[in-house]
Amino acid sequence: MRRRKRMLDELEQDIREHIEMETQDNIARGMSPEEARYAAVRKFGNVTRVQEDAREVWSFVWLEQLWQDVRFGLRMLRKSPVFTTVAVLTLAFGIGANTAIFSLIDAVLLRSLPVENPAQLVLLKWSARKAPNIHGMMSSGDCPMDMGGGLFNPNGCSFSEPMYSEIAQANIFSGTAAFANTGKLDLTGNGPASVINGQLISGDFFHTMGLKPAVGRLLDASDDTPAAAPVTVLNYGYWQSAFGGSREVIGRTIELNAVPFTIVGVAEQRFTGITPGSDYDVWVPLSKQQKINPLKGMDALGGQDRQHDVGFWWLTIVGRLKPGTSLAQAQAVVSGMFRNEVLHGAVLLFPGGKMGALPIPRAGGPSMAASAAPPAAAQLAPGNAAIQMHGEGAGGPTGQAAGNEKTQFTMDAQLQGVVPAAGGAHPTETEAPSAPRTLATADDNPQVRLVSAQSGLSGQRAHYTDPLYVLMLAVGIILLIACANVAGLMLARAAARQKEMAVRLALGAGRARIVRQLLTESVMLSVLGGLLGILFAYWGAHTIISFLSSNQAWPLGFATGVDLRVLGFTVAISLFTGILFGVAPAFRGARVDLTPTLKEGEGSSAGSRQSGGRWFSAGNLLVVAQVALAVVVLVGAGLLVRTLQNLRSVDLGFDAHNILIFGIDPTLAGYKAAQADNLYRDLQGRLAETPGVNSASYSMMPLLSNGLMITMFHWPGTPEDQTAESDVLDVGANFFETLHIPFLAGRGFGVSDFELAAANSGDKPTSAPTPVIVNQSFVQKYLGKENPIGKPFGESAAGPLGAATPGYEIVGVVRDAKYNDLRREIHPMMYSPQHAGGATFELRTAADPQALLPAVREVVGQVNGNLPLFNVTTQSEQIDRLLFQERLVARLAGFFGVLALVLACIGLYGLLSYEVSRRTREIGIRIALGAQPERVLKLMLWQGIALAMVGAAVGIGVALGVTRYLGSMLFNVRASDPLTMSAVAVLLALVALAACYIPARRATRVDPMVALRYE
Amino acid sequence: MSTKEQRERIELLQGTLDLLILRTLILGPTHGHAIAKAIEFKSDDVLQVEQGSLYPALHRLIKRGWISAEEGTSENNRRAKFYRLTAKGRRQLVLETSKWDKLAGAIARILRPSEQEGKS
Repeated sequence: MRRRKRMLDELEQDIREHIEMETQDNIARGMSPEEARYAAVRKFGNVTRVQEDAREVWSFVWLEQLWQDVRFGLRMLRKSPVFTTVAVLTLAFGIGANTAIFSLIDAVLLRSLPVENPAQLVLLKWSARKAPNIHGMMSSGDCPMDMGGGLFNPNGCSFSEPMYSEIAQANIFSGTAAFANTGKLDLTGNGPASVINGQLISGDFFHTMGLKPAVGRLLDASDDTPAAAPVTVLNYGYWQSAFGGSREVIGRTIELNAVPFTIVGVAEQRFTGITPGSDYDVWVPLSKQQKINPLKGMDALGGQDRQHDVGFWWLTIVGRLKPGTSLAQAQAVVSGMFRNEVLHGAVLLFPGGKMGALPIPRAGGPSMAASAAPPAAAQLAPGNAAIQMHGEGAGGPTGQAAGNEKTQFTMDAQLQGVVPAAGGAHPTETEAPSAPRTLATADDNPQVRLVSAQSGLSGQRAHYTDPLYVLMLAVGIILLIACANVAGLMLARAAARQKEMAVRLALGAGRARIVRQLLTESVMLSVLGGLLGILFAYWGAHTIISFLSSNQAWPLGFATGVDLRVLGFTVAISLFTGILFGVAPAFRGARVDLTPTLKEGEGSSAGSRQSGGRWFSAGNLLVVAQVALAVVVLVGAGLLVRTLQNLRSVDLGFDAHNILIFGIDPTLAGYKAAQADNLYRDLQGRLAETPGVNSASYSMMPLLSNGLMITMFHWPGTPEDQTAESDVLDVGANFFETLHIPFLAGRGFGVSDFELAAANSGDKPTSAPTPVIVNQSFVQKYLGKENPIGKPFGESAAGPLGAATPGYEIVGVVRDAKYNDLRREIHPMMYSPQHAGGATFELRTAADPQALLPAVREVVGQVNGNLPLFNVTTQSEQIDRLLFQERLVARLAGFFGVLALVLACIGLYGLLSYEVSRRTREIGIRIALGAQPERVLKLMLWQGIALAMVGAAVGIGVALGVTRYLGSMLFNVRASDPLTMSAVAVLLALVALAACYIPARRATRVDPMVALRYE
Repeated sequence: MSTKEQRERIELLQGTLDLLILRTLILGPTHGHAIAKAIEFKSDDVLQVEQGSLYPALHRLIKRGWISAEEGTSENNRRAKFYRLTAKGRRQLVLETSKWDKLAGAIARILRPSEQEGKS
């Protein structure tokens, strides 16, 4: 570069020297000095051009030409502000919408885990051919779990604590962390009592993640021993919101479920939780689980404590690979340990041959048993990770345990009856798996796979993946429309600039150069659009996230914002867009036929005849493409909106208006089961008397909260090994009256029913069956015409599998009502009298339920000031929350649909306006020759409408092919719904008519005199 | 200069100027004016170099590293820039010369028969 500068600086001197020498030579030949100098200069040639050429030798030509192009382009854009504004705005919408959705995808799906070197972290996932014979399986929602219907290829990422200890001690990883949800924690000691969400973590957790404290210290191995004093670490966000970010907080004591914990530190800001979407307020050592949830789950059922229970799988395990250890090596070791443990351990978890005959719980998702466990062992149905998020009734481990009573007893029987054969008898494949007492079989093929924690810990991600991809598709189409739109504008402009191009070509500009210059202009437009789009995207993503958050009971731990990846995406998409829409007009512009263009004026009749008759002109094709794409988006949006409408108008089976609901869990505050029951009855009475409350009741969890429990039982008259199943919900007195679910037969629960239910769920069940109320579907499925009232079922005799249980007796039949969500069909369902556990109160109010909240809080406070209410909402809000994904998608898709329509119509309008101005002379002649205005109007309208119709037809064809992929998101509407299709077509026709009418109208006002002079 | 004289002079083919400059410099370093003179003189004034165009060509050759520039004093004691052939330039000259020979030979072979046809 320096050489360049020196050479160019000295060039002038050199030239002067050269001319001087030549002059001297000429004088020597006998010329006069003036003559000599003149000849020398003439012989040298154009000094300026020589300098320019020399400069060009040294310069980066393309860079300087690019700069020229940019400056020229800016001038051109400034010269036509309307075109520029429309194009930039169109592109800003397209690019902005894409950037917004992409930033969400980035935040939810792509962003790396907020830990040191996330690539080294691996998640342990087990799989097998059959479900393991365990009595507790719990997922904290960190990764999907599939029990494979109990029989086929189940998998998951929950492990028992002994398994974790063994893996951690084997030193395979440089750090091994285990964690699980604490469930709801009742926090006191910091102002009024509140309910927070925590995570139990092994001592190695923070070390494994490579995290640093923001304040104080993090937990380490010494904190995670039963003897260690209870300590906790706060989430940075929670520290800010609940403790005002005060450093004084270190050393303070708070009570979690009435157990004092000392705050020792705050985790660094970036770490909101290891799983995307999770947002834990506090972290507590794993060893304190017994203390904070003393009565829960298996522990309450008289099983072992979890720490030593190989049959209770509840921990998610993440390891950090040692440098130099490959994933395959570590996997082989871990998998070997797992096989050994489950096939040859003290308790056989895959007992050969026995499994097939066992009634395996059908369900998948986080399983849980009500505290009222026997005889109604229950579990949550698949796909309900959201239960943790909503925290209804049984958030995470507060109410887990599991499976089915019979499974559990089978397991006990094995504990007693089966003595493992001297540890290592490796059964071969030839051993018949069905042979009784075969200890274990490799046939079940239990194994562990290591997957990257980044992809394995999906958490909340799973809920957003599908909608996000649908939206990404929609905005991708929008961008295409925007491109087609701007390409149309550019084409029209290229036609208008033909003369300019011809002049440039005539003056010797290279065609490549002209193409490049036009491309520069389009890329500049798209970059301007991109800049504006980023603002638009920032605002859009923010709006979407706040919409999402407003629908969550727990905050959503997704960090959004424009990061480098998003910026890179925007830059890439801007350039891509610019080239995409610029390339056709650019080549068109450069392909000018010189002579005619230079001779003729713009808008001449000859030119219009040439392109006016071509139906397949680029402009027409672009408009058809725009309309077609818009139709695709509109059809998709229409289907999603119809889905939302259908869901909203579903018959719930109960009246959701004017119901206030709130959760309360006295067991967190140390209430025993009987005390809790009394509290509920006391509260129910007081609340019912509160002015404004018409009726009050409670249930284990609210309806339509995504929570679901299913129970298995034996139906009398069916084969012994066949199980029947039914949805089940524990409810308080007056539940049906409060929710307005009408009785069809029988009666409601009375005081004695609750006492009987309480007795039957205790250690010594009575001989009287538990009274239950069933729904219509139950009667239809199991009873048919038989009189349901008084019908007993589910009784089990005492036997090797356990003590006798009295089963149930139907005392009433109620109308069908929706249970966990709106999409699931109504299943057979039984309501049983609630006993113990947490509860959700439902209050039927006379007016606005929210207005009653202070009064309700006061009533609860009178009973016990330390009982926090959680998930305070109304039934309608609850339903909205349930539908948030549908609402979000419908709203966004609707917005994008309208955007697509508007853009397509702008395109149509633009094309037609251009046609009208180009054919002004022709129209003038027609009018001069006596054409009526109506005919001219029709002539112009026809072109626009025909294009719109072709576009709509193509669009509906494409939509029919594409909307199939929406299938899983739709409800009560087919992907090929003819109503939606025709509505979209009609809407499009009307809007297209309006878009065409304005320019067509202008055509009728053409003054023939002006038009004919127009040149 | 008469028109006839002008017609007899031939415009340089693209790229051949570089070759001629390299060939001239093989006799030793010299300044720009001398190079222009040498090309005109050696070609018996047939090749017409617009003297100015020499300079961009010189710059191009320097950029490619085929020649180098240094300060010097001209025959009539004026300060001038002297251009010297580098080793790389020397290799390039050999290469370009042989390419040129091939090209000239090929063109000659094509042209000669048509000349004969024209005569007959």
